Amino acid sequence: MGNITLGRYIPLDSPIHKMDPRAKILGMLLMLVAIFFPAGWTGYAILFAAASLTIILAKLSFTFIWKAMRPMLYMLVFLLIINSLFLKTGTPLFTVGPFTMYSDAIFQTLYIAVRLLLMVMITTCLTATTKPLDMTLGIEDLLKPFTKIHVPAHEIAMLISIALRFIPDLIDETQRIIKAQESRGVDLKEGKFMERIMAILSLIVPLFVSAFQRAEDLANAMEARGYAPGEKRTRYKLLKMEGRDYLLLICCAALLACMIWLSAQA
Amino acid sequence: MPIQFDHVSYTYSTGTPYEYKALNDVCLDIEEGKITAVIGMTGSGKSTLVQHLNALLLPEKGVVRILDRTITAGEKPKNLKSLRGRVGLVFQFPEYQLFEETVLKDVAFGPKNFGIPEAEAIERAKKAMAMVGLETRHYEKSPLEMSGGQKRRAAIAGILAMDPEVLVLDEPTAGLDPYGTVSMMSLFSRLNREMKKTILIVTHDMEQVFTYCDNVVVVENGTIRASMSVQEFFKDSSYCKEMNILPPALIRMKEQLIEAGFEIGEDVMDIDRLAEAVARQVKKHG
Ligand SMILES: Nc1ncnc2c1ncn2[C@@H]1O[C@H](COP(=O)(O)OP(=O)(O)OP(=O)(O)O)[C@@H](O)[C@H]1O
Ligand SMILES: [Mg+2]
Repeated sequence: MGNITLGRYIPLDSPIHKMDPRAKILGMLLMLVAIFFPAGWTGYAILFAAASLTIILAKLSFTFIWKAMRPMLYMLVFLLIINSLFLKTGTPLFTVGPFTMYSDAIFQTLYIAVRLLLMVMITTCLTATTKPLDMTLGIEDLLKPFTKIHVPAHEIAMLISIALRFIPDLIDETQRIIKAQESRGVDLKEGKFMERIMAILSLIVPLFVSAFQRAEDLANAMEARGYAPGEKRTRYKLLKMEGRDYLLLICCAALLACMIWLSAQA
Repeated sequence: MPIQFDHVSYTYSTGTPYEYKALNDVCLDIEEGKITAVIGMTGSGKSTLVQHLNALLLPEKGVVRILDRTITAGEKPKNLKSLRGRVGLVFQFPEYQLFEETVLKDVAFGPKNFGIPEAEAIERAKKAMAMVGLETRHYEKSPLEMSGGQKRRAAIAGILAMDPEVLVLDEPTAGLDPYGTVSMMSLFSRLNREMKKTILIVTHDMEQVFTYCDNVVVVENGTIRASMSVQEFFKDSSYCKEMNILPPALIRMKEQLIEAGFEIGEDVMDIDRLAEAVARQVKKHG
């Protein structure tokens, strides 16, 4: 639990960090769409290369990606089990008693694993290089055209940024509470059923209490400083698209086109 | 046998850009049966240090010896629960750990976890609540209805009810009113004197160190800057100056008197003897 990396901002000095958040958000959306085209292994190899290049440019380490990926391994193992029980197509590989393993079960799982890996890589490229505040500004600007059809762009952006802002805090808080209860003899790993339930309650209740407390404090602090949604606000930081931002968008669009073309070939 | 830290290092978030070396090659002996103060600036690593005592944090390098247990870096320690029952740790801001419907039940939660039967756990909880100054009318209150200071007391009672041999308190009096602070510190002092408990207190208050503690450990940047008796530490203000600490009022007064020409021995450590020494010399000159 100590090292949850998914979604964390990593303060580094790289060209990707300096890019316009709007370009990065749009680029990420294009790439996420691209992942869902069944472009075969060539397509995934290209996307993997592109994502790796971005990670290198952003000066992020691959162990960081690996750490973000690790919690999903359990899910993949579970998926492999389900797949091998129910997917009975492809060539039979081996048989143990009444159970036969088919090649498609492995391929299907691998396919999803690769997609998941790509998604983690791409979203990390965005979240690790964009300050939560910049992210909010970006989202708000991108949603602005939709205010015409009464989408509350500013409120949505504010919600997202507050949620992002609180994730690391809540993780820290959880760890603190775990430690405090462990000091009182709570055993999260062993124990009888009722003890287990007590153990989980002893974490969840204080966590909720403190989350609500934090929410209330934040709301008060915002109100005390005159925040009112819907009010017209000026901005300290203005976003500006530059050459490299357009380049990023063109690259992403080209990759998407490439995937569409590859999947049409297949 | 003293509590020992033997070349202990600890790093937070290893392998991420947030990596932070919070303890660096710490060697430290803590006397049993004494009250030891742990002082140091914000972020120096005091909380990290004391969380090694009940194995909430395991050393990344080195060895921690406490009671009859040895915790070695890289080895998975067994049966941590029994150690945690014997080394009670009250966290910094412990008021967030309360969760039961009533305060009494919450205080009894610790002992119950360590296998004390329900009825006895409740008895112990009542005793512990009395010790920290929570009256019977608080028994059935919900922790949510309590004030910050009352929650703090309840949390401390929750650890006292476990009746640990070693008691570790991370800034137990931060945010308590002056009267609450004094009564809390006297309680710890009494537990030490009457029940021979080893006590560690993390604190920023030099008056507390001076008045209630036997030994003092100064943590600086993840290392031990000094570890000695309180007598030695406050014998004059030179250590304090060296470490940028404002000495207790009595020591400051003593220094000023010496500067003004009074002769006051190093062993004069309380207000009565200081007054006596001053009176004697005034009379002599009078
Ligand atoms: N979970 C964590 N992850 C990363 N770094 C941490 C973590 N907890 C503490 N640190 C860092 O380790 C250092 C020591 O922290 P610690 O809590 O031990 O300080 P402290 O001396 O108790 O300070 P205070 O007087 O404010 O309580 C700090 O610089 C802090 O930033
Ligand atoms: Mg601390």
